[in-house]
Amino acid sequence: MAAHDVMPDVELFQPLTVEDAVALAERLGGNGWILAGGQDTYGWLKDRAKQPTTMVDLGSIESLQGIEETRSGIRIGAMTTLRDLSRHPTIRDHYALLAEAADQVASPQIRNQGTIGGNVAQDTRCWYYRRGLACYRAGGNICYADTPDGMNREHAIFGASRCVAVSPSDTATALVALDATMVIQSSNGTRSIPAERFFVSPAVNITHMTVLRDGDILTHIELPDTWAGADFYFEKVADRNVWDFALVSIAGAMRIEGGTIRQARFVCGAVECVPRRLIEVERAVIGKPRNEATANSVAALASRDAQPLNYNQFKAPLMENLVKRALRA
Amino acid sequence: MDIATVKEDVWGREVLLGVSWDLLWVVGALALAAIVVHLLIMAIMSTPELPSAEGRHLERHEGMDRGFHWIMTITVFVLLFTGVLPVIGIDFSWLTIHWIAGIILTATIGFHVFRSIFWQRPKEMWVGSQDFQEPFDDSIKPGKYSLAQKGMHHAMTIVVLLVIGTGLVLFAVIDTPWWSRSNALAESTLGWTFLLHGLSTLGLIGLIALHVYFSVRPEKRFYTRSMISGWISEDEHRANHDPGRWSPDKSA
Repeated sequence: MAAHDVMPDVELFQPLTVEDAVALAERLGGNGWILAGGQDTYGWLKDRAKQPTTMVDLGSIESLQGIEETRSGIRIGAMTTLRDLSRHPTIRDHYALLAEAADQVASPQIRNQGTIGGNVAQDTRCWYYRRGLACYRAGGNICYADTPDGMNREHAIFGASRCVAVSPSDTATALVALDATMVIQSSNGTRSIPAERFFVSPAVNITHMTVLRDGDILTHIELPDTWAGADFYFEKVADRNVWDFALVSIAGAMRIEGGTIRQARFVCGAVECVPRRLIEVERAVIGKPRNEATANSVAALASRDAQPLNYNQFKAPLMENLVKRALRA
Repeated sequence: MDIATVKEDVWGREVLLGVSWDLLWVVGALALAAIVVHLLIMAIMSTPELPSAEGRHLERHEGMDRGFHWIMTITVFVLLFTGVLPVIGIDFSWLTIHWIAGIILTATIGFHVFRSIFWQRPKEMWVGSQDFQEPFDDSIKPGKYSLAQKGMHHAMTIVVLLVIGTGLVLFAVIDTPWWSRSNALAESTLGWTFLLHGLSTLGLIGLIALHVYFSVRPEKRFYTRSMISGWISEDEHRANHDPGRWSPDKSA
């Protein structure tokens, strides 16, 4: 496939209101491309692997930007940059998990431009798919990563249903752990979806990573105060410390009272097509102290039922070690 | 409108992906048009008095055959809903339900084939030269099955066997409790298999639409009743069948 250094000829719309953007998205359907920070977009378009005729740039819509406190938590505009998110005082003070996750995305340059909405809605990094092969995710009938010779070191060890791609979003795990709600607007109105159901597995829809469809625009993300000020842990393991996607990441949130864990959330990234809740670990730590002994006793639960591919067996022990680190800290 | 969906791959080759699901709406429209045309013709034609359901009951379908029919009905509808709803944008985890229904259908069809060959009279479903005179001569009445019923059965046989055959090929490459998924089949083989699976599915949808329509028509409703309760009346038998070609063995 030819790689191009220049953008293809695409008609650009820059609406000023969400209503106009939704109307455009509805009218353009599959020919339109919703542009947030553009960090996932330009590669697709320059490689001609996706060929929309029109782009709808959300960058001029003020109502989609910024962070505001509400009576029940925080409301984050989908076009808020990852940098602004990670440096926002309220986020840092009360939702440090999300600040930490946002701060781990890619590089400073990308965080200055990339948005929280774009980060959660980005497509998978499976190179067979991104290279333009007619794989399951591209509407075809085969998974090239899941062949005996397939390069699948970064792919799924859970929940593969024909396709073995994983979600590359660093903030997705934190949002699921924090019980976030995704607010989506379309011509049919506004709907709110829990972050855990925002991401979809290939068993449900093999060509989409999220519930977003043509005509939908993710406008806000709402964080309830359920986990505000809790004990958090975020760690991302990647081949490089910057400008890389996770091999495995973990987002943990714990409420600790009287020395024991009363509530817990652990979510792993890059092990499944959706952020993976470690429900067995969450149950197992309730009533136990956050210490080495607890970490050692529950870590194995994290990777139970994993089905590694040829080149990613390392992900199972890596998950277990991340759980240990989250509980030791 | 295309019959197949193809995609140009990274090397510029055209890869066959499967059927073009735009045909779903064509099949729906054609089935609806056929039903409307039939309704108009039947409205214009004089309606003969319907035979009475009173009197002695004659067995048309044994319990086992009725059971087969309704199990097949349920599995086919489950297969169609789980196969087609995701295509039209209704997302759910469909694949496991789909292949389980497919396995049940395959086993049911296998049972039916075995039973009809060794325990029933397959000849009753053969199409002979006399059958073709039926539509043009009111004095010729069918045996157990009319030409239309035989035609529906044989058309259904073809599409169901095709959908099962291709379904089994696709079943072989996904995760099941008995084996792990593999990508053992070539892209082109998969493309052709998906194309045939899709085309036979579309054929099945059209046939089922017609089958359901005829099953609720007033003059055919006694056949539907017989598929539930097993019997038709003597009067219905006399009015619709040639006793010389089909005489039920026993009373129901």
